[in-house]
Amino acid sequence: MTTAAAPPTRTHLPPQSDARGGSRTRERNWILALVVLVGAEILYFSITVTGFFDGGTGMLALTEQFVDIGMLALGLSVVILAGEIDLSAGTMSSFSGILMAVLWRDGIEIWLAVVVALVASTLVGALNGLIITIFRVDSLLVTLAMQFILGSVATALSGGSPPYGFPSSFVTIAGTGSIGPIPYQLVVFGVFAVAIALLVGRTRTGRSIVLIGFNRPAARWSGIRVDRTIVGAFMISAFMAGLGGILVAGFYNAARDDLGDSLLLPAITIVVLGGVDIFGGKGRMAGVIVATFVLGFLTEGMLVDGQSSLSATMVTGILLIVSLALKITLDRRGGLDVRAALRQRVHRSGRTEDAR
Amino acid sequence: MSSAAVDPEAERHASTVAPASARYAASHVSKAFNGAPVLRDVSILLEPGQVHALVGENGAGKSTLFKIMSGMYQPDAGELVLGGEQLADLTPRMALHEGIYLVPQEPTLMQHLSAAENLYVGALPRRRVPGFVDWARVRGEAATFFGRVGLDIDVQTPARLLSIAQQQLLECARALVHNCRVILFDEPTSPLTSHETEILFRLMDALRADGLALGFISHRLDEIIEVGDRVTVLRDGAMVTTAERGGCSRNDIVTAMIGRPIGVRTRVRRSSDVVDRSEVLKVERLSAAPVFEDVSFTLTKHEVAGLAGLVGSGRTEIAETIFGLRRADAGEVWLEGAPLLHRSPRECIDAGLIYLPEDRARNGIFAEVDVARNVTAGIIPHLPRTWHLIRAKREESLAQEVIGRTSVRTRSLGASINTLSGGNQQRAMFSRWILAEPKVAIFDEPTRGVDVGAKDDIYDIISDLATSGLACLIISSDLEELALICDRVLVIYEGRIVGEVGQGEVTTARLGELVVGGAE
Amino acid sequence: MNVALEVERTRATRRTVRQALGRAIRLREVQLLVAIGVVVAVSTAAQPAFVQPGNISFMLADASATAILSIGQTVVVLARGIDLSVAPILGIAAVLVAFPAQDLNLPIIAGLGIVLAVGLVLGAANGLLVSVARIPPIIATLATLSVYGGLQFIFAKGEEISNIPNAYGNLGNNDIVSGIPWVLLITAVLAIVVAFLLRSTNVGRSIYAVGNDAAAAHRSGIPVQRIVFLTYVVSGVLAGIGGLIYLCHVGSVDSTTGSDSNVNLLSIAATLIGGTALTGGRGGVLGSVLGAVFLSVALTAMVFARIPSIWEPAGVGVLMLLAMLSDRRAGAPARRTRQRTAGSAR
Repeated sequence: MTTAAAPPTRTHLPPQSDARGGSRTRERNWILALVVLVGAEILYFSITVTGFFDGGTGMLALTEQFVDIGMLALGLSVVILAGEIDLSAGTMSSFSGILMAVLWRDGIEIWLAVVVALVASTLVGALNGLIITIFRVDSLLVTLAMQFILGSVATALSGGSPPYGFPSSFVTIAGTGSIGPIPYQLVVFGVFAVAIALLVGRTRTGRSIVLIGFNRPAARWSGIRVDRTIVGAFMISAFMAGLGGILVAGFYNAARDDLGDSLLLPAITIVVLGGVDIFGGKGRMAGVIVATFVLGFLTEGMLVDGQSSLSATMVTGILLIVSLALKITLDRRGGLDVRAALRQRVHRSGRTEDAR
Repeated sequence: MSSAAVDPEAERHASTVAPASARYAASHVSKAFNGAPVLRDVSILLEPGQVHALVGENGAGKSTLFKIMSGMYQPDAGELVLGGEQLADLTPRMALHEGIYLVPQEPTLMQHLSAAENLYVGALPRRRVPGFVDWARVRGEAATFFGRVGLDIDVQTPARLLSIAQQQLLECARALVHNCRVILFDEPTSPLTSHETEILFRLMDALRADGLALGFISHRLDEIIEVGDRVTVLRDGAMVTTAERGGCSRNDIVTAMIGRPIGVRTRVRRSSDVVDRSEVLKVERLSAAPVFEDVSFTLTKHEVAGLAGLVGSGRTEIAETIFGLRRADAGEVWLEGAPLLHRSPRECIDAGLIYLPEDRARNGIFAEVDVARNVTAGIIPHLPRTWHLIRAKREESLAQEVIGRTSVRTRSLGASINTLSGGNQQRAMFSRWILAEPKVAIFDEPTRGVDVGAKDDIYDIISDLATSGLACLIISSDLEELALICDRVLVIYEGRIVGEVGQGEVTTARLGELVVGGAE
Repeated sequence: MNVALEVERTRATRRTVRQALGRAIRLREVQLLVAIGVVVAVSTAAQPAFVQPGNISFMLADASATAILSIGQTVVVLARGIDLSVAPILGIAAVLVAFPAQDLNLPIIAGLGIVLAVGLVLGAANGLLVSVARIPPIIATLATLSVYGGLQFIFAKGEEISNIPNAYGNLGNNDIVSGIPWVLLITAVLAIVVAFLLRSTNVGRSIYAVGNDAAAAHRSGIPVQRIVFLTYVVSGVLAGIGGLIYLCHVGSVDSTTGSDSNVNLLSIAATLIGGTALTGGRGGVLGSVLGAVFLSVALTAMVFARIPSIWEPAGVGVLMLLAMLSDRRAGAPARRTRQRTAGSAR
């Protein structure tokens, strides 16, 4: 918030060291801890796992394995900041990837196919948002239903034979190409990470999203256009999921109807690990961006080390639980720290048994 | 300070009191949240057959004390003694078992459960043999208990269909079900109309006569003086004074509450040499059955008009309809000649109409957000920016300037708004709407949840705004407030405007007559 | 007996009957029975084979595993939670019974012991995460979904176990009378028992109370955390039983059983279609069982209408959306507020 050029004129703001500073500091410390965690992971795997670091290029190339998940996480953060959830993001990726591939197989120019797939995804996202806002139903249920509808649609589109072998221009940029040691995918991720971070932190839309996440009625009473902002958030999430799906297709140079299904859980993990409050409002995109690398390097490190992908998924789940439990403990307010709560509970149960 | 401090020895002697009634003492209780002390060494004693009234400004720690006494919070220090027996680590469950019940400020019933079940929730009577719920008994006894509190409803009605007052009475009935010896009322009257308040007071009298020990919190001094056998004043978490009925005057209490004497409030005067009295807002035959019907009025520049009515009379709904938050069935609204009805709140704000909501915690503030973003929340589309990016520094100076105008006291713009007192939060809400540069303002209960001392400042803000040309409509249940600051007052009763009291005739008595439908 | 009194009583009875009838029409259970009837009637008109006892038995048996899971899901949802991990619990329970059943010819009753233990442990783990660690249910169970999924893979050793003793298959596929499978009876018994406990015990009512307003429930002396914990245990145990029923009915199990047939979605869809509100505190398990039957009938009708099976998930999704839109309060946003779990200071 302090990057704008105009210096404050007759207003002088005292430095923040008060209660509010507390929550800001906590957010910053959390992100700092994540940065340290990435460093520690890289160090650990570099030392213990041969072929992980590989002169730096190997490590950078590994990012191709997970920036697609990061894409989903960026979009999901927007929806979660607004206090909603999008469980359809995973199959949205599948839908987008397969749609793009099928269109290309049917003779449409590849980049046009990409655009069509992204537009289609965004429209489905708008549909999600419209159902949720017009009928005022829970996003959890709507997107859960949409998850399965899109799954069926993706399967139906693919028609049993996954398209593969895309043009090299596409595979270079959306797939495995790189500029020097830096993979194109990482560049794409970087661009969108900055864009979403600016959107959330510095634009009117982002401000509206955050305030809606904090207190929806108050946002409405303040004249914020709640419904259309929420539809917008779902469109952003769907667009990013669609883009993630295209990156997956580019990376494997093939599109399967379930290519994105496994992306949802790690993406939600990243968002939560990144410090975004699942109830909306609180959180920073910087945390989500760093968390992408925390989870990505952890998973890839384990895979390079020869662990099965399922144990990596399990670790994802455990990380999700641990990070959230830790965060909830840290955020807990006066008189409600975990030990005290436990102690109280033990006391209480003891007593109620007596009372009977 | 020490007059209510409890001697533990004396407490033990009191344990001979019959179980049906017992004195309940909190002694030397302290409590801090996040290191911020909320209660400091507070001791109060509730005697059987007495109402002990607790007063203090917002944040004085009254509710916290009651919550500790009913097991909702654990005190950091101090002890609770009921009938000579010390209650350590009190939980709500234990409290109920001991016969202590807290009637909360807003009734919190289980909306989808029946009234009868709500009465027993958590402790439904069981049939002896299989140990299952005895529904016949629940229904049968519920009717009896409802009768005792004067509640005339079908016991099977889901709680969500009950009015606020009925829900509040149901909360009281729950205390009877649990055969409570101590009932704590935490501002039970704030959602009630004066008639409903009377019903509640009659019930309290009956309970007092039965020898129960009652605790009572209210913001309304008149109520405190009316029902309190003993009054304790809290300020900043500490006890200031305790007195028996008649032991202190209204002024003494106010002085104790705010820590300084306040002068008698005088009617707020504005310069009357204003010539521009052009009409800015015109509402014509606005209807939204069954809430309100056929509402027409106009507002002119520099005017402060009042809208008086009971809770539930439709006054808030009218405001929300004009502000585009609800649909109207019929009618027209013009702002400076331009039609305004069925525009979104955003369009209303941009056209120059703002609405300060009644329920600040729910619809006003973003509690965990800093003051700056709270203040600019009403003008997000107009924030200073370069290309699409908001210029943070410019935004902050905007916020800084406007909170200076309303003299919001905060440690910094970055402090989250829930660290501010109620009065300062309300000032920040005024700042939000001043930033929008309105032509017409609807202020719904502008001093609700505001300390006595801060009320006058709010009146000054409103007065200044009117002087600078704003047309204001004040909605309030506080008739005294309306009489103080309004040029004229419209009175609404059951969704219809039943009268208008013009300049010079606005008195509390006249308004009081009209709001209860006395004109017909 | 006084005649006038008798007349008055008859009149009152008649009035009560009329009121009860009015209420019944508004009941989701009744609406669902009508909907099931309509689907059956339409499908039969198109294809008379739809009402052959074999098909009816198939549909009801197919609905059973879903129904049992949805009973547990309903209990969780009534207390305002959600359990997204029922699929791998079902899978793990089935796998852990299938191996000894195949290798040691384990009796069914011992299998029941295993699934109960599995459900208890895994459900308790969910319960601890939600009630003690205070992790929002959706995140907690999403995380355990992947952890349990991994466990299932490890336990199944990547194999498909299909050599199940006949006793299991007989229980899973035989009918009591033509058209009524044994598993339906088991489901019905479970549903009635749970419905009765929910309606007539203090714990059952406490689940409703917590779902209505956890803070108020806490204030009323209800041990909110323990109740929340309990709901996940119930859900886990029922998912375990569901695993046994699934094993009996299908006769084989592998490392993705449960997850691959979308039982998570099915259990939530059945709960929602059955009229239990995601906002908690409203609904019941009988509706959910009927919801499961409705889903099974509707999906079978899709097959009869020659709609490819790949559209099955979409069909469930659409039905779920329709159920939500038909009763908006059921799908109304469960405000995931910060003070959800009571006991925390307000």
